[in-house]
Amino acid sequence: MNHLTVDQLVQLREPGLEPGVAPLRTHLDSCVACQAEAARLDQRSNRLRALAALRPARDHWPVLAGRLRAERRRRRVRSAAWMGLAAAAGFALMVMIRSARQAPEPAEQVAINEAIARSRQLEQLIHSYNPEARVTDGRTVRVAGELEDRIALVDQQLQSALQLDQRGRDAEMLGLWRQRVGLLNALVDVHLTRAGGVGY
Amino acid sequence: MRGLSIFHLDMTDAYLLTDATVVLARARAGDLTAFEQVYRAYEVPVYNLARRICRTVEDAEDVLQETFFEVCRSIGQYRGDGSLWGWIRTIAASKALMRLRRNKYRDTDEYEEDLHRAPRNDNGLRMDLEAALERLPETSRAVVWLHDVEGYTHEEIAGMMGKTVSFSKSQLARAHARLRRWLGEEPAA
Repeated sequence: MNHLTVDQLVQLREPGLEPGVAPLRTHLDSCVACQAEAARLDQRSNRLRALAALRPARDHWPVLAGRLRAERRRRRVRSAAWMGLAAAAGFALMVMIRSARQAPEPAEQVAINEAIARSRQLEQLIHSYNPEARVTDGRTVRVAGELEDRIALVDQQLQSALQLDQRGRDAEMLGLWRQRVGLLNALVDVHLTRAGGVGY
Repeated sequence: MRGLSIFHLDMTDAYLLTDATVVLARARAGDLTAFEQVYRAYEVPVYNLARRICRTVEDAEDVLQETFFEVCRSIGQYRGDGSLWGWIRTIAASKALMRLRRNKYRDTDEYEEDLHRAPRNDNGLRMDLEAALERLPETSRAVVWLHDVEGYTHEEIAGMMGKTVSFSKSQLARAHARLRRWLGEEPAA
């Protein structure tokens, strides 16, 4: 039998014996030259494993962190927009029920409706500004992210406020909607002035 | 901290990432500082794998970024069935192989052309291993690295490359035949 080829030696290293491999194994066990070749093959693999690790020439974390923050911000904005819509829809439903009962519209309810309308205007303004498509500095991203977090928190509180009884609910919701308008105003300022001198 | 016991962080994870279980739980909760620790721990092995497979430094850097971007987005889906490094490594290998496919390197064709060309007299070149590895066609280099160094089976490599097991085996044998020749390891006739 001829000496084993590299293909055959590689095949013999695999776990489990495939059909037709037994004669190769028998040859290997009795052939010093093929055993030496198999040893060289193993040694080559060991040397590959021992090669020094190649390292990146520069730190890629700052760029990656920027991408991750931007991605997170996109998700937050989407989520906040949906929660705001849900809170407004919940309030609208309550108003409809109240109207159906022909109850007089209290002043607080009027004020809440105004705050909801203002909130929508500001969201549309931010949407038309399209901050996602703009180059933004790190400080703006951070400040905008903090504001979006606070808006998301207000939206959660608005959802909870829907569960209160009517007397406490209107006062609570008016406060929260006004807070939401204030935060959205600050967010507009941040985007339009790029965080320059924003105090909130 | 619920569910931490399901993580099977192995010795490699423990070696690369101090307090791996806690850091991983924080990263899964969205803590970017914890994720930076994960990045710092696995940055070099991921880059090394990418650089060994990809043709250029730029491609390897892109693979590094894409890998960790994917890791961060999917870390909530990591169920701890295997080691963290094993999971990250598979993402990195897939991204690197995807990059190879995208760049349409035709090393297999080149090899076929080689077979029909007059054999080059590159016996006894006695290149060093780094240079010989770099000289291999991309697919062969990817297979030899994934199999011999990273420890993937031919079945796993075939799955990642979208090829057959036989393809993986033949690429490995070809890679070793070439390395043997270029390293001057062929026995004298």
